[in-house]
Amino acid sequence: MIRTTLRIKSELGLHARAAAKLVKIASRFESDIKLLRLNGDIQVDAKSILGILLLAASKGTELELVIDGKDEEAATEALVELVEDRFGEEQ
Amino acid sequence: MASEEKPQTPTTSVRVLEQVPEQRLKLKLLAGADGLDNKINSPRIQRLGLAFSGYVDYLDDGMVQLVGQTESNYLTTLGRAARQAAIERVFTCNLSCLVITGNLRPPKALLGNCDRFNVPIFQTDVPSSVVIREIPAFLEEQLAPTTTVHGVLMEVFGLGVLLLGPSGIGKSECGLDLILRGHRLVSDDLVVIRKFGADRVLGSGPTDFQFHMELRGLGIIDIKELFGVSVVSPKKILDLAIDLVRWDSGKEYDRLGLEERSYSLLEVPVPLITMPVASGRNLATLVEVAVRIQMLKSQGYSPSSDFFRRLETRLKASSDDVWRV
Repeated sequence: MIRTTLRIKSELGLHARAAAKLVKIASRFESDIKLLRLNGDIQVDAKSILGILLLAASKGTELELVIDGKDEEAATEALVELVEDRFGEEQ
Repeated sequence: MASEEKPQTPTTSVRVLEQVPEQRLKLKLLAGADGLDNKINSPRIQRLGLAFSGYVDYLDDGMVQLVGQTESNYLTTLGRAARQAAIERVFTCNLSCLVITGNLRPPKALLGNCDRFNVPIFQTDVPSSVVIREIPAFLEEQLAPTTTVHGVLMEVFGLGVLLLGPSGIGKSECGLDLILRGHRLVSDDLVVIRKFGADRVLGSGPTDFQFHMELRGLGIIDIKELFGVSVVSPKKILDLAIDLVRWDSGKEYDRLGLEERSYSLLEVPVPLITMPVASGRNLATLVEVAVRIQMLKSQGYSPSSDFFRRLETRLKASSDDVWRV
């Protein structure tokens, strides 16, 4: 299991298109992927679009990415890169 | 997705006038029956008035020719020889057919020439103005570009829904499910599409075989016979197309419901939804929901964009408070 702390940097937060991208990438992996907010009080499946949206993570929100499974390393790498890259939408 | 077939050229024959519904126009064939296969290629109607008086240059052999009260009265004002000449002059041109209004017996010379030149002549009691309204409207439908598409056309909550997808994916089964929920079948397998006005398409089924459905394991069943007249509908304007595709885990589908796509039929765009099919997904339920969404959208409300508007507000609030109950 790999746990990574992320901070949302994009201006619009984790909005609809960003969430769709995140789900798209997460769905490519077999591992169980979860996103946690508020020290794990809120926990959502990263392969479920509604869950991600309901996190309502705006700019500056800290999230914890928890990935467990065969391809957890590759999944962590891909998702961290996506978030760091501000979902590929901003300069 | 299957592409649409090439539209057929809009031509019909005079015979089609025999199918004008009686409540619209009662047409009685008086003479010229051998010309029932003459071609009609325009919905417009011409009056023979000027032609009887000598000006025949613009007579169109693809249009219905009208002999109204005015023309009939004009012919009676002429002497026998002049009337004969006026009529014969008109028949030097190729004519598709004539429609004569009023219930008086038309001049013998007119009927004789109709038989001689194989020009069908129909009589009707109604005034010319009604003929001028009804015949073009009827021919417009007959001459509209048509095409066929492989799919199932249903009427769901009053909307015309075309189910598309490859053979064996379950279009008919989904249709049957919808029938059991009180929706209506328009056509299974072969859907005849006809342009309706400039921006709509009308779907129906092949005459005589319309309300049949093939279900694997059960064969061909007659839906009207089995379920009654209330579960079938002869034709329907298309409001929504749903393309059923096999679920492919490597493929990505619309997860947000914000994509707006359309399926082009006779150059008319019909809103399109791609619906992945997998076990555990009840297609009839999904179709019903898709139709409800379409109904809201057509009234200017989009359920998903409302959700995203609220989400945006929440994202702007940028605080953890939203989660504290």
